[in-house]
Amino acid sequence: MTHFKAISTMKEIMTNYYVEAKTTKEKPIAWITSGAPVEFLYAMDIIPIYPENHAAMCASAHQAMDVIDVAESAGYSQDICSYARTDFGADLSKGGPIGGLPEPDFLLCSTNICKTVIKWYEVIARRKNVPLFVVDIPFLHEGLTRGLIDYSISQFHDLENFLADFTGRPFDKDRYDEVLSLSDKATIKWTEILGLGKTIPTPINSFDSFIHMAPIVTLRGTQVCVDYYEELYKEVEERAKNKIGSIPDEKYRVLWDNLPIWFKLSRLGKFFAEQKCAITAATYTNSWGGMSAGKWDTEDPYELMAVSYLYNYINLGFEERINYLAELIEMNSLTGFVMHSNRSCKPYSIGMYRLQEEVTKLTGKPGIVIEADQNDGRVYSDAQIETRLEAFFETMDPI
Amino acid sequence: MFSPFHNVTANVSDTVRQYEKSNSRPVIGVMPAYFPMELIEAAGGYPVQLWGNNLSIKHADSHLQGFCCSVAKSIMELELRGSAKMVKAYAFTSLCDTLVNLREIYDRILIKPDVVLPLPMTRTMEARRTYLETGLESVKTGLEKVTGSKITTASLADAAELHGKTRELQRALYQIRRDSPGLIKNFDFYTVIKAGFFLPRFEYNQMLTDLLGSLQNLKAPEGKRVKIVPTGLVFDPMDIFKIFDELNIDVVDDDFANGWRSVSKKTIQTDDLVEGVSQYLYQASPCCCLYNPDIDRHDYLVNKIKDSGADGALFWYVNFCEPDAFDAPQLKERLKKEGIPISSIDIELTMTNFDAVKTRISAFCEILEG
Repeated sequence: MTHFKAISTMKEIMTNYYVEAKTTKEKPIAWITSGAPVEFLYAMDIIPIYPENHAAMCASAHQAMDVIDVAESAGYSQDICSYARTDFGADLSKGGPIGGLPEPDFLLCSTNICKTVIKWYEVIARRKNVPLFVVDIPFLHEGLTRGLIDYSISQFHDLENFLADFTGRPFDKDRYDEVLSLSDKATIKWTEILGLGKTIPTPINSFDSFIHMAPIVTLRGTQVCVDYYEELYKEVEERAKNKIGSIPDEKYRVLWDNLPIWFKLSRLGKFFAEQKCAITAATYTNSWGGMSAGKWDTEDPYELMAVSYLYNYINLGFEERINYLAELIEMNSLTGFVMHSNRSCKPYSIGMYRLQEEVTKLTGKPGIVIEADQNDGRVYSDAQIETRLEAFFETMDPI
Repeated sequence: MFSPFHNVTANVSDTVRQYEKSNSRPVIGVMPAYFPMELIEAAGGYPVQLWGNNLSIKHADSHLQGFCCSVAKSIMELELRGSAKMVKAYAFTSLCDTLVNLREIYDRILIKPDVVLPLPMTRTMEARRTYLETGLESVKTGLEKVTGSKITTASLADAAELHGKTRELQRALYQIRRDSPGLIKNFDFYTVIKAGFFLPRFEYNQMLTDLLGSLQNLKAPEGKRVKIVPTGLVFDPMDIFKIFDELNIDVVDDDFANGWRSVSKKTIQTDDLVEGVSQYLYQASPCCCLYNPDIDRHDYLVNKIKDSGADGALFWYVNFCEPDAFDAPQLKERLKKEGIPISSIDIELTMTNFDAVKTRISAFCEILEG
């Protein structure tokens, strides 16, 4: 893992974020999915809390399995998403690194990352007896269409009404515009940071960006988020300028597709570094990196908002996914790609074997699929994964 | 009385091929679940429902990981083995994450066309309506392209009547079962419903009418028998019903997606198709796969089980079905609170050994018998 000085700032702002959420007496709390339009919440002074971020935090701290056991003992099958099991277990036992999440006043979920979140949030809504607002952001089988944009916008307006009813205050359009502008600024900066990954050797690899993505997910729409990425950008830019790589003697450059394996981040980071392989791009971190820019000709803020939430990698049809992967490979001078077939994330993983085949055919670059899980260590084998990766490294031509 | 239905389920390919030829209609494979088949019928197509099968998986594993359900895998296996040659196109809904991606894989590996009806998952009523409108228009255009026939107001109304009649007749059969548990063996009952996946509506309706007539003067067996309501996605493997029959367990009602959840849907009103399809999707029995804030699935199931007079409920879980798996723990808890005994079986459509399932069902049966 690359040491960026900004990490201490990130730790501080994330701590402040959770402390505020856990101690607030005035602000309502909403639990929200990572792909939901959080800007509406910040505009109404509602604190968004991300069970996904929390689940990743539990796994990174090697505390996921304990709480997963609690959830499974309560009847939740191993077949369901391990993020959900982690959060259910942490909630039931008040376990995990922060002793569970602050209680929600309502829930907001969007289907642009999966349909599973509806089921997950229905369980929470029933358990906590709080309202659930679903913003359905449909899958783009055939790309963006006017109908999909209108459908999303119509629900955004309904969300505004819901929030006004919930808080007893009219929806604050002026504040919303400010939040939107801050969200844009942070997204642009995050995109620029990820863009520096193109530099050879890469100054920031994806093991780093998996860690540094926490604020863009949770604090998007706040000034503190913009400030953080400006600080991080300076450091990464400096390294890029001075050709300081994130690993010594970078020989291979690959892309990572799907969520990270949170509980193996450190070991895999070390393993890739030893193999002289830098993961220089990741579809997951890019999902908060302004992928929708230029995809729809409009200046209308609601349309832009709809497009940005619709045009998210995991929500794209395979034609667009393949083209996007090929583009990343080309743009980042990659020597190959790694696809994480993630038992917990069907929309990201199903069809991956076909994607691998087509992307290799299109780019001439080798790819590998590894079978694992984002949080559940029981379906992971160090020896098996590392042996497969070693064999894969041998198939790549160095840069 | 049931043999014509058994003949169909035992000879699915031959049956479909025969009617494809005699009715000169292209076969459209209908994926799970809730695609309004009236649209296919109105476009001159022959809808055949694919709810999975018991083929051992040899080819689908090259596309679908071990964590995909056997419904998706077995449907794909059928195609990859070359056993679905008569299927000219596929009709999908956006039921779950697996099926959404399965459509994408099909799009890459098959030259067969498909249509997708996205199911709105929103509480915003106006959005639901406008989105359905767009989806239906796209489906209609796609189907017309496949069949080469236009969907007209008249063809749509006729199709709605034909399919509405099927479900009405099936509901009559369900009612007979509720009124006279044990009159129809479980295996026979579900064979009748399953035959409907493959038969053209006109022929199936005639068979159902004849069957209902034959059942009129029959009497249910005497004595105390165990009554249950199963809940799950698909009522396969059918061998499980043979176990029920052997143990004198009567299914008195069900909550299967391809059972009562589909059968309960009323005739689609076609004068306002968008409203008609909206009611078809959301105003019948709730489903774990279909977000519907208007109906509480817990209350619905408690009432359903109590009204049926069942002694217990059986969770019929197809492995890797996330929507069902998410609902189960809280639902089980609620049923227990209501004093309804529950048990569960985990199944794969492709399973061949039923010993464990039988042991579990026997144990449950003994508990219910007291």
